[in-house]
Amino acid sequence: MNVADTLRIVIVGHVDHGKSTLIGRLFYDTGSLPEERYREIERTCREQGREFEFAYLMDALEEEREHNITIDTAQTFFRTAKRPYIIIDAPGHKEFLKNMITGAAAADAAILLVDGAEGVREQTRRHAYILSLLGLPQVVVAVNKLDLVGYRRIRFLEIEEEIRRFLGSVGIVPSYVVPISAREGDNIAANSSRMPWYGGPTLLEALDSFSPAREATGLPLRFPVQDVYVWDRKRVYAGRVESGSVRPGARVAFSPSGKSSVVRTVEKWNRPDCPQAAAGECVGITLEDELFLERGEVMGTRENVPASAREVSASLFWLGIAPLRLNQRYVMKLATGEAEVTLSTITERINSSTLEVIERHPDRVENLDVANVTFTLHRPLAADTFEENPRLGRFVVAEDGFVAGGGIVREVRSDPVGARTRVIRLDARLMTEPDGNLIDLSREAGPIEFDLSPGFLDRLEAGEKVVIRLRTADQFEKLARLAFGHHMGLEFGRDGEGGKVVLCRERPVRLPVAEETGPVI
Amino acid sequence: MDHLNALENQSIYIIREAFRKFRDLAMLWSIGKDSTTILWLARKAFFGRVPFPLVHIDTNYKHPGMIVYRDRMAREWGVDLIVGRNEEALCAGMEPAKGRFLCCNSLKTQGLQQVLEKHGFKGVFLGIRRDEEGSRAKERVFSPRDRNFEWKYKDQPPELWDQFHTSFGPETHVRIHPLLSWTELDVWEYIRREKISICDLYFARDGKRYRSLGCVPCNFPIASGAATVDEIIEELKVTKTPERAGRAQDHEAAYMMQKLRSLGYM
Repeated sequence: MNVADTLRIVIVGHVDHGKSTLIGRLFYDTGSLPEERYREIERTCREQGREFEFAYLMDALEEEREHNITIDTAQTFFRTAKRPYIIIDAPGHKEFLKNMITGAAAADAAILLVDGAEGVREQTRRHAYILSLLGLPQVVVAVNKLDLVGYRRIRFLEIEEEIRRFLGSVGIVPSYVVPISAREGDNIAANSSRMPWYGGPTLLEALDSFSPAREATGLPLRFPVQDVYVWDRKRVYAGRVESGSVRPGARVAFSPSGKSSVVRTVEKWNRPDCPQAAAGECVGITLEDELFLERGEVMGTRENVPASAREVSASLFWLGIAPLRLNQRYVMKLATGEAEVTLSTITERINSSTLEVIERHPDRVENLDVANVTFTLHRPLAADTFEENPRLGRFVVAEDGFVAGGGIVREVRSDPVGARTRVIRLDARLMTEPDGNLIDLSREAGPIEFDLSPGFLDRLEAGEKVVIRLRTADQFEKLARLAFGHHMGLEFGRDGEGGKVVLCRERPVRLPVAEETGPVI
Repeated sequence: MDHLNALENQSIYIIREAFRKFRDLAMLWSIGKDSTTILWLARKAFFGRVPFPLVHIDTNYKHPGMIVYRDRMAREWGVDLIVGRNEEALCAGMEPAKGRFLCCNSLKTQGLQQVLEKHGFKGVFLGIRRDEEGSRAKERVFSPRDRNFEWKYKDQPPELWDQFHTSFGPETHVRIHPLLSWTELDVWEYIRREKISICDLYFARDGKRYRSLGCVPCNFPIASGAATVDEIIEELKVTKTPERAGRAQDHEAAYMMQKLRSLGYM
């Protein structure tokens, strides 16, 4: 059954690099285009005195056909011998990036289309970067319009190298890079005799090699409470298992409340006694204890619940027309949780096409920027890092009720209460403080651990210093051990109630030579 | 998880999300296979209950068979049914002969608008699917409408990771489309699996059947021998004719459906 499961693919790339034409070609070559649709397109094209245009299949809106562009994402369906496909066309125009993101967030795999004549362009890079932020690992690059460059291998290799280099810089390794012509049908369904130098798979073969995004069954249990139904004197927690699985008798705990209980039943309509529910299933859960849990609580196991986040550091893309501003309030929606948040730090603002850092510590993030930021939550939300659990490690930001940005959780800071050890990650991002790389631990009363990144050491090596404000002797001891183990220089001084440590490159030890040779007798 | 289960779970999630976010919620029941499937999914979502009213917009031109089926199922499933009619337009003699665009817009779109206003509904479920027709392919799952009922298809809010647009101004409503990613074939395969009782106009009699249900004057049956759900599924696997081929309003003029829909048509 799994083999036949539908694969959702998104086609992205720069405007005019041929997305809509490619879709028409995929339909045509797989025999998935209904005759009447074909004739309707033929008729419309004739009425407007144009040549037959495959793009009309997806570009259904009048404005799209008039201007030959895709405005919004659309979905349609075709089938290969192996399985059915849902194909998501995403607009290449910069203004429609939110529609591209809407399309790409729903996909299992992506085709990144590059024009063989024009090469890698602004939206090619931006879309690739967004794919990496959306966590879409299955990518095939199609180098299109090779008919326009005489099917020359050298041109293909140039573009392949350029796109591989860029994708590498955002952490994507494409599964294949396929030379095609969507208009002429080269290397789409069948190998092209016009490019005998290419020995790889056709585009359809490449797609058939991908697998649908699997439910996150292998990860720890996460069941966000979506709603609570009190019916027939029973309290049913409705929701979807986002990862892992749950069965009656399981000893469970909730975040952010910290409550715990035992699962009594896992229920569906006409099936009040399901033996278990796995990732992807919408069920109702009843508990042995009378707890009052609200929407937004996330159920895990007693051993593994998501953090109760008070502060979230994230990589974020901003789609709002008005900029995202420092110290302003927004609403964060993460799984079924929702909280008011304040944007407390903008570490850096990045051009989503060139990946250049536009500005460090700016006071705003502009439309279409990507940024590394930190939000302070006005009440705690259950969260994981994206790396630990993508389902609980991504969120959207709403402004005035409208979703205006999205992000993935890089780091979570929890309430200091409780036994949880707080991990302070020392990385290069800390080194961007304008006032001298300050890390403030003076409000950290609980146990801490340091997690050191190589980038941090490189920056110390380059001569930068980091000041750390301390509250406890225990913190100083940890820092001293860290400095000793990694050959850092360390200066200590008292600072109010606590202490202050300056970390720097290890000073070269200079043995006294002339003046300080000691008293000569 | 197989394809139908994945679709079912996704739809249940959407239906529960709408129920949580919109207190004034209704479901548009066109009596067709799609909205009847949503009704079934709602019963799954709420453990057999349907905790919101169903709205049927009666244009006065519906097949009598649809009305019989509607009243029978409403009784059987114990649902709260609201029937809406644009009486003013009907009294003034609105009919397809006055022009299909005018007629659809008046009897269906304005008929719906009147019911939503009268009952103050802020959220309404609709059974549209992306594979039906081009402008529907561009829809969002949660699709806001402004005070003039209009669909701003050029500037829709982003929708990702199941975070939907659930807030609204005082005079708008949000349309919720739980079947948006289903295909016609998915719906029939689901009807077969779940043994859902469907209006019998879909099944062939004397070599003809309706593939899509609408008003008598503008809705034509297709030539077909498919008299059971199994036979319909086999037919759909080989057909090259689109689903709405028998719906006259789709073919009257270029972009007619987009124009109707931007004014609030389903």
